[in-house]
Formats: sequence, C-alpha cells, structure tokens
Amino acid sequence: MNGETMTRTWSDELSGKIPEVLGREIDIFETQMELRRRGEVDEKLFAETRLRRGVYGQRYDNGHRYDGERNRQLGYREHPTKGVETVWDAPGMVRIKIPYGAMTREQMDVLAALSEDYSDGISHVTTRQDIQLHFVHIEDTPNLMRRLAAVGITTREACGNSVRNVTACPLAGVCKTEAFDVSPYAEALMRFLLGHPDVQDFGRKFKPALSGCSHEACGLVNMHDLGLIAKTRVENGQEIRGFEFWVGGGLGAIPQPAQLVHEFVTPDEILPLSQAVSRVFARLGERENRGRARIKFLVAKLGIEEFRRLVFEERAKLPYDPRWTSYLEGLPQQWDAPHRPGAPLDLGTNGQYSAAFRAWHRTNVLAQRQPGYSVATVKLPLGDITADQMRALADIAGQFVGDNVRLTVEQNIVLRWVADADLPKLHAALEAVDLAEAGAEGIGDLTSCPGTDTCKLGIASSRGLTAELSKQVATLDLASNDALKGLRIKSSGCFNSCGQHHVADLGFYGISRKKGNRLVPHFQVVLGGKWTENAGSFGLATLAIPSKNIPEVVKRVTSRYVKEREADESFTEFIERLGKVEVKSFLQDLTEVPPYEQDPSYYSDWGDPRVYTMDDYGEGECAGEMVPFVEFGLQASEREAFEAQLFFDSGDLDKATAMAYQAMLTAAKALVKTEFYDITDEPDHIVGEFRTRFHDTKRFHDRFAGAKFANFLFAAHEVHGNGGRQDLAKERVQEAQLFIEAAYACYEKMSTKQASGEMSKEGAPA
Amino acid sequence: MNHTNGSSDALASAELSVKLFVEDPAAVDLEELIPVFHRWIRESSLDGELPIDVAGYAHVPKGPGVVLICDQAHYYFDERDGRPGMRYRGRRVPRGSGEQGITKAFRCALRAAALLEKDPSLGKRYRFRTDTVELGITDRLHAPSDERTLVAVRPAVAAAVRSIYGKPAKSITLASGPREPFLVRIEMAESPKVETLLEQLDGVAP
Repeated sequence: MNGETMTRTWSDELSGKIPEVLGREIDIFETQMELRRRGEVDEKLFAETRLRRGVYGQRYDNGHRYDGERNRQLGYREHPTKGVETVWDAPGMVRIKIPYGAMTREQMDVLAALSEDYSDGISHVTTRQDIQLHFVHIEDTPNLMRRLAAVGITTREACGNSVRNVTACPLAGVCKTEAFDVSPYAEALMRFLLGHPDVQDFGRKFKPALSGCSHEACGLVNMHDLGLIAKTRVENGQEIRGFEFWVGGGLGAIPQPAQLVHEFVTPDEILPLSQAVSRVFARLGERENRGRARIKFLVAKLGIEEFRRLVFEERAKLPYDPRWTSYLEGLPQQWDAPHRPGAPLDLGTNGQYSAAFRAWHRTNVLAQRQPGYSVATVKLPLGDITADQMRALADIAGQFVGDNVRLTVEQNIVLRWVADADLPKLHAALEAVDLAEAGAEGIGDLTSCPGTDTCKLGIASSRGLTAELSKQVATLDLASNDALKGLRIKSSGCFNSCGQHHVADLGFYGISRKKGNRLVPHFQVVLGGKWTENAGSFGLATLAIPSKNIPEVVKRVTSRYVKEREADESFTEFIERLGKVEVKSFLQDLTEVPPYEQDPSYYSDWGDPRVYTMDDYGEGECAGEMVPFVEFGLQASEREAFEAQLFFDSGDLDKATAMAYQAMLTAAKALVKTEFYDITDEPDHIVGEFRTRFHDTKRFHDRFAGAKFANFLFAAHEVHGNGGRQDLAKERVQEAQLFIEAAYACYEKMSTKQASGEMSKEGAPA
Repeated sequence: MNHTNGSSDALASAELSVKLFVEDPAAVDLEELIPVFHRWIRESSLDGELPIDVAGYAHVPKGPGVVLICDQAHYYFDERDGRPGMRYRGRRVPRGSGEQGITKAFRCALRAAALLEKDPSLGKRYRFRTDTVELGITDRLHAPSDERTLVAVRPAVAAAVRSIYGKPAKSITLASGPREPFLVRIEMAESPKVETLLEQLDGVAP
C-alpha cells in the first residue's frame, strides 16, 4: 500500500454519501474525543456527550473484574477516563437507533459488517427496536457512525438524558386491527424530536411509542413516557385520523401506567403537543434525585389535570414551526409497498409441505389485512443474529419483500409483505441459514435484557436464565399446549426492567440474597402482567427465588394454570384469583438455598461458572450524567475554538476567523439561554440579548479587565471576515479562547450566587 | 475500496485472524468451554494478553461460539459455516511487517489451540488439524474481499507459511464472498501437530 492509500479513511471513502448534518456531528464528536484525551473536557460532560451519541459503558469498564476467586484490576494503559470511573480503553456498547424498527437491506448489510469489524460478530436486537453492538472500542466509534450515516442511520440520542428510539408496532400498515398505519407519524416524530433544542435539557431519558390500536400489545404505549394510539372518528361524514395522547407511563423499579392527556389529537397537533410536553418535562422534571427524574414522577406529582393544563398552556406559547405540519403534505396513501404481487397459498392436504413448514406457518406467519400477503417472523434466540445471518437475511428480503423489514420489541425481525404463495420458499431460504425456528411470539420466544453478560447494572444473569428456560420450554413442549402457547416469559437482570418483566405473564428480575456469608443469585418472580392492551397491566411481585430454581417455578406455575384455570380464564386473571398469599405459599419451598458445601451450583449464575458476586456491579449509565445545558454550550464553544486553531494552523485564515467568531457566539448563546430559553441562532439576536443581559448589567465584566472580553464578541460581530490577514485571524482565535474563559467565569459566578441564594434560603428562619 | 500495492503494508494495517479447525466437530460442546475460558482469565494463561471477559453465544447456530474478549484480541471458539475451530482475531495490535503480523497471528491461534488440546477438563477431545487454516484481514477499507487483495497479500502469506511450516503451502485461495471480511484458505500437504508448529515458531522471529 502506498502512502496515499495508507492514509485513506472512511471519511474519504464515504464522501458524498454521508448527509452533511450527520457528517458534521460525527466530526464534532471526534474532536470532543480528542479534547477529552487531552484532558480539556470534564469527564462527566464527556460521558453525557458520548452517551448522547449512543456510546455506552459496559460491564468491567471501571477496570476491575471478579475472576471467580478475587477482584482483579485489569491492566489497561493509562489514559484520561471516558466518564466517571470509566476506563478509556475498556470496550463498550454502541446502541443504534432503528426508528420504529424499519431497516433496509442496505442498512442490514452495513450492520452485519460493523458487527464483524468493531464488535464480536453479533448484532443484538433490543426490546426497544434498537441494535446493540458490544465490546466496541471508543476509537472505532466515529468510523462506525460514519458508515451508519452513509446508509441513513444515526446513533444520536440513543442513550443519555434524551429522546430515545421512537418505537412502533412492527405490524403497522399491515395489521388487520389497526385504525391506520402509524409509521409516517413515527417517522415524523422521530425527525422532529431528534436533536430538537427543547429535548436537550431533560433530567432523564424519554421514550416515545406509537400503536395502531388499543387492544393488542403493539407499541406498549401504557409503559412509555409518551404514547400515541391511532384512532379515527367521523366528522361531517368524513373519517378523521387522530391519536389518543398518553404520557407518564414507565416500568423501572416503580412501574406506572400512562395517563391520558387528550383522547383525540389530530396529526397536525401531535408534534407541537409533544414539544410542549418536552418543555414542561425539561422545566419541571426532577434533577437532583435521579431515581425520580422520569416524567412519570412529574405526572404523578402534579396530577394529570395540572400536567395537562401546563402542557396546553405551553402549547399556546410555542413559536410556530412549519415542521409541525409539513410532513403531512404529500403523505402517501400507503407508507410501504409490496415487493412482489400478492398470491394465495393453498396449504392443501397433509404431505404437501413439511412438518417444519407447517409448524413455522402456524406460529410465525400472520395474515396481513391486504389479501394475499403475510408477515413472517424471524425468531432470534436472545435477540442475537450473526453477521452471516444478517447478510443472508438481507438477501432473502431482497428476494421476497424488498426493504419491508422491521425489528420487534420481542427481539425478533419481521418480514412484511410476503406473498402467501412465496411462504414455502421463504421458509426454505430461512431454514438454510438457521432462521426458521418456529414458535415466535409465544411461550417459546423468551426475551431478556443483557443483564450481567454486559450491563454494568446487571445483578443476575437474565440471558443465562433465558437460555436455560428456552431449553426447558422446548423440552417440556409447553408451546404445544393451547393454554400456554401464547404466554410471555421475560427476564431482566435488575429491577430497571429493560427486559420488560412487569408486562409478561411470567416475569423475572435479578436480585441478590445472602446465605450465610455467601451471595446467591436470585430472581424476583413477577406474575400475571398483561402484554396485550398496550402492556395493559403490571404483574404481581411475589417472592425471591434462587436463580437455579426458576425453571421449577415456570414448570410448577404453568402446570397449575393448565390444571386449574377456569373456562377462558386468562393467565392474568388466574394469578389475580390465586392471590399473592396463595402464590407465595405455593412457591415457598423453592426459596430454600442449600448450604454451599451441599450444592455449590446455587452459588453460581446461569451461564457463568464463577462464584457469584456483586463485586462487578457498577455505576449505571442509564440515567446519564446530569449536565446543565449551559455546559454543553460552553463545551461546544471550546470545541469550535479548538477547530479555529486547527484552521489557523493549516493556513485557512478565513475559516479560522469565522470559526473563532462562531465559538464566541456559541458561548454567549449558552449564557443567554440560562435566562431566555427561546434564544435563536441568529447572530444579531444572540449578540443583542447578550449585550442587554450580560454586558450592560456588567455581569460579564472581568474584575480587572472590565468589558474587554465582551468587546471581543462585539468587534467580531461588527466585522465579518478578515480579508486573509494572518494577524487578525490569530488575534481572533486568541480572543475566542479568552471570551470562552470569561464565559466560564461568568457561569461560575452565576452558579455560586444561585447556590448561596439557595443556601441562605435554606438557612433562613421559617 | 482501495487495493493494496504492497502486501507487507497491507497486512500491517489490518486486523489479522487465524482459524484452526478441530479434527472432530462432533466432540465439541461449546458450553464446556465457558469455564475453560474463565479459567484462562483467572490463571493468565495467555501471555501478553489482557483478558477481560467471556461472551457465550452457544444459542446462536453457526455463530461466534464462545469468545474470550481481550484488550488486543478476541479468541473465538467459533462454529462459522458449521466448521468449529479456534480463531484468533487481533484487535488494535501494534503494526509490524506483513510477514511478522501473520506469524504473530498464527502463534496466538496455535497457542490457544494447544491450551485446549492439553486442558484436563476436556479429556483430550479437542484436537486441531493444521493442514487447512483460514487467515483473515478485517479491514474492508484497505483489504476488500476480492482477488486483487489476494494477489497483493499472497507473497507475504506464502513466505510466512513457509517459515512456520518449513514447507510451502499447497494452495492459498480466496475463501470469502465480496461482502464478507477478506479471508484466505491455506491448504498444506501435511497436518503437523499444533505443538510441533509452536516449537518451530520458537525459531521464527517474533
């Protein structure tokens, strides 16, 4: 390879393919990484920055690991951290948002390649229609993001205190029971909220979901921060589309059902109303106590009536945004189109198709509302798919359904618009790559969060348990029992509910208990949650059972349900009828843990032979870092000043001058925004507001230099460009740095004043 | 994509992998390898590596199998294409010359294979053949999976194989599709023991 090719990069290779906005964002992140490596960005600020780019921590990234005998320090090289107690070189997880789970074949191909190039060859489908790659090194993340951006995917705001992936029913548009296809509205909501200034200052994450109907599970609206359920109504003889508008649902340690804000919001209002909800949450949401910072706590605290009043009051004040309705213009009658003409399948008499095909057809194929078409579910074990399988699936999609592929919240992939007559060939193609397992979305299709496999917060091995339960369900052939086949089993590694155990028929979440002086992995058993009706109700927490006894719990509970259920009694109703006392007594003997000497297997977790410990439990990043938005602004201004210096060093004086000026504007805007939330990006607006609020009041003045630093901005604002003058460019770059220093000093004074004000308030006599 | 002009630099720029196949695929039980890999971490069995974690994918057919994640390498006992074997894959490995890089990757794969062959808990059921080996370059930017990359890297591969085996390869052929990471299959006339090759490698510059 010659010098030219050796220096070729993914930026070069993908030039012209990456949308400018995404390319710029990734370049900025790379610069932020460089600044952190130099120790010029605070670790908490950098942590939240990378989280908002989807770059997450992973177990053992604090540089310690229990090896089964002792807690060992991992000998990483010395670097600045990438977050609090987070080693730079430790591999992490990258979460890739796939809005409403919709993937193209091209995107699948790239995801396969990325899993091989930067991860361990596995793409993991999450319970929120994301893809996660594990064991990724932070140095690889900018190129990983570029390769995604070239096929229209961003990782922006996949983690951190921001709007997470917008999820929706994977059957949207083809479902027989939906009011209408929610896909275009999910797309619009995703585009509108992504990077929106009003969603940058949340105290915690914010998860939206859309559903096409009320009664199926679909979008699981009842457990989301923001949820929309499609409805229609007839007015003046015309069918009008709209949405039930819900807020404040959530799982976590304290599950809360969503509450209705409005029973019918028309499409032209869903974006502004979501924006208004975001503003209320940003303004009034909890910040200090991270455990109570989700919007569900704010709704509970205010009451839905007051919350609703505040939202509509905020809505009335919003400055008009044409994007609220522009997406509605030219909305296609049908969001996605069939790849092949529909054709019926005659299942015929016995013998025409294999038993395997028939079993798969029974459980994995659902007729669409469009005659001649079906949805086929590709069941993924634990949500995992290899790179080879992902590529093969992209090819299979190309043959049968085109780009009509979606991820599901049950960690599967659905192929939509399969012509019925193609189903036998599709099954054969899937079978050839081990993707034709029957039993989708029932008792044999268990879901799990990553748990202790990779999550820092994992307490018990939810994946290990799920793998074991999957084997057991198959061995006992529970799926062949009509009473059981539709039940859901879901496990989480801790109480945070990423495995959605609260809304499963049989849910489990990891906890630890002590026996003598040893720890034993346990799971709390949660029974009778309702998956349908958009996650209609939460299960009954019963009792803590040692991890190794959970398979017996499943066996015992399902067996009793089969024997004792009354006609048409659902599992939820059955558990309600049994009651907590009876369930506890029925399972009580399974809580017993034999002494270590008698059976040491109880003291290890599923899939992990090490003696169980909580030593590897780490600081979670789910909550992100609480960083005031002003600090993000000041960080951005520093990064721009750094880029200005790079332009100057490379001899591009015009760009150096312009970037230095921009850096000062960004810093000034960050300060103004602390008082005036709706400050725009217009330079005249920023400088005017800065002058009134900070210069004229002398709050920006330096003790010795007075208005000197503010005047740097005013001078730069008056004169754009430098006519190629090196001396002026150098001066401007230096002034930008000094202005940013002054902005930090001003912010510090403001913070100190606020803190002392609060202290004096607290200290004042009642 | 860019094709390489000189094989040594091309190989030095990339993350190399070497896979050795087991003699008896029926003897493989992925789940019994999980405690073995954990023990390797505990006992620091792989000199020069910083082992971090074990990832188990026994539930995924023909997948990565069981993976020992290290700071500068992944050690897979994988079942890709239904052909189980030990695969070393370098990650963030300091650059060397092409031939050196290949030799190092071979050494790492052979060393891990030897550990499995000797492991007392596995009852000598894991034996590796060395007459068919796969060498990969996970660098789609500089080493796309095609004949041109093969032509560019073949001299260095051939030289490395000759120094490791003491004999030339019977064939070196492209073994990957255009969308996969670049992979060559090296066929040898004989299948020396893993330990024998490791001993021979002691005489080859590291």
